Amino acid sequence: MADKHINARGLQCPGPIVELFKVAKAAESGDVITIEVTDCGFSKDINAWCKKTGNELVSLEETDGVIHAVIKKS
Amino acid sequence: MNKQKLIVIGAVAAGTKAASKAKRENPDLDVKIFTKEEHISYAGCGLPYYIGGIIKEKNELVVRTPEIFKKEQDIDIFIKHEVTKVDVNSKKVFVTNLDTQEQLSYEYDKLVLAMGASPIKPPLENISLKNIFTLRSVTDAFEIRDLVDAGKVQKAVVVGGGFIGLEVAENLKHRGVEVTLIELAPHVLPPFDEEIALLAQAHMKDKGVNIITSEKVLGFEGNGEFVSKVKSTAGDFEADIVVLSIGVRPNVKIAAEAGIELGTTGAIKVDKYMQTNVGDVFAVGDCAENVNLVTNLPAWYPMGSTSNKTGRIAGNNVVNTEHMDSLEGVLGTTIVKLFDMNAAKTGLSERDARKAGMNIETILVPATDKAHYYPGNKPIITKLIVERSTHKILGAEIIGSGIVDKPIDIIATAMTLNARVEDLTKLDLAYAPPFSMAMSSTIMAANVMLNKLNSKIDTITSRDLQEKLKDSQVNIVDVREEEECFISAIPGTLNIPLNTLSERSGEIDKSKETVILVCKVGKRAFLAYLKLKQQGFENIKVLEGGINAYPYNVE
Repeated sequence: MADKHINARGLQCPGPIVELFKVAKAAESGDVITIEVTDCGFSKDINAWCKKTGNELVSLEETDGVIHAVIKKS
Repeated sequence: MNKQKLIVIGAVAAGTKAASKAKRENPDLDVKIFTKEEHISYAGCGLPYYIGGIIKEKNELVVRTPEIFKKEQDIDIFIKHEVTKVDVNSKKVFVTNLDTQEQLSYEYDKLVLAMGASPIKPPLENISLKNIFTLRSVTDAFEIRDLVDAGKVQKAVVVGGGFIGLEVAENLKHRGVEVTLIELAPHVLPPFDEEIALLAQAHMKDKGVNIITSEKVLGFEGNGEFVSKVKSTAGDFEADIVVLSIGVRPNVKIAAEAGIELGTTGAIKVDKYMQTNVGDVFAVGDCAENVNLVTNLPAWYPMGSTSNKTGRIAGNNVVNTEHMDSLEGVLGTTIVKLFDMNAAKTGLSERDARKAGMNIETILVPATDKAHYYPGNKPIITKLIVERSTHKILGAEIIGSGIVDKPIDIIATAMTLNARVEDLTKLDLAYAPPFSMAMSSTIMAANVMLNKLNSKIDTITSRDLQEKLKDSQVNIVDVREEEECFISAIPGTLNIPLNTLSERSGEIDKSKETVILVCKVGKRAFLAYLKLKQQGFENIKVLEGGINAYPYNVE
């Protein structure tokens, strides 16, 4: 199991979600992906994405305008 | 010389404002205020937040007390004194002291009516059970909060999805109460247009409020003397408390009985000086009628912002009879916070304007409240309603998790000065990344509106698309990336990312009536629109607001 980190800060839609797709595709089951995003629409997207893919949304926080999401691949 | 006597009936916002202003204009004035309530000068709009514990102390709700009024301004306020009759011929008011039942009468030179409005309590089965509340007075808020504090409220039913109902639902939810809200109309926030209101409604549902629309409350069942169940056309709901927020009516009884004229809205008719049809009698606040500045027709906006203004004007005019102040009308500007979402409105809704038979154009434009690259920027959606022939702005609605009060106030100001949509695009507004976009959301919306009015772009609203989907006479082309479409898309969508559109436009059925381009906020859709126009597509429309503002079914 590996920890993967995506810095998607400063990317506008659809940048962050496209990055996440790429990394998640290459990841193994049980891998933990952390992604940091400044695009404000991302929170809604990540919830829907996890529901659709069945991956687990471990945490979703926003501090100082940076959304911090942790996902565990199923 | 005898002192001039001013009597004010009602001691919340408008009444105390009128009294204070009059006393400042003429310190020799003898000012008496009568109210049947125990509390005066309270923050009626703050009551839901007291229930939620955001406003912590009782004292914070009650802005001022009779003692303070006496000491600081020499104004006499008689609480628990109900005015039962006004005689405009002998210029007298008849008052009952509610504690002693003593009957009193007082003469006036000038009279200001500020009786406010009362919540509607329909004659439903068992409506007199305990713990069925309305929320209008401080006492209502105290009782509800005490029950919640005592842990006696697990389940609540809120009847009515207007501002108060939604604010109460949110605040009860914050206190850990399971909340069901029942609204008779097809959506909450009835004054707003459907596509805006549905976004607010979806957000409330996301936050865990059970919202039921297009259903009617039929009555209540009790456990002993306390309410236990709400019966509705959608079935029964258990409830430890019920809060009715289905609207208010102006308190006009003593005015009507005194021969003071009422307007078409049922509130007291006044001119722009706040004078009634009877000499030396003024009416202000929620019991008085307003004029809508857009239509110039009578309207009724029982709101604190308008109450304070009309109170101040009457206060001036009872003294300065040679230099009267006036209010031409109001726009009905309102704003509400619902969890993490804000919604504001000014002027006419699209529905109002169409009902009035006006020839209008509307547009819905998403943007951010600050520069899109500045941390903490949040989305907002602006809807503009404009008269087609004159380009005059008739109304606006703004919703989103970002700042909405600034843009709605900009538009309300512009409308008050009779602005056209062209004027909005030219406003020199404050800009730096932490505060705004370089082209602010309002200017952007006005520009898109002009493009639409000048036929540079053709758009479709989510509501109209919803209609067209029923007979599937329409191609929906989504120009976002594949990954975005995977997350959510309108059912039946053909996904062609913008950068492949030139090669793949042949996949679109040209014979079908309309092609709709869906992207997140509408920017990519506009580029795709221009590209397809170049390729000879004639019947193309962009979905206003993109998928983010689409309140209907997505998959």
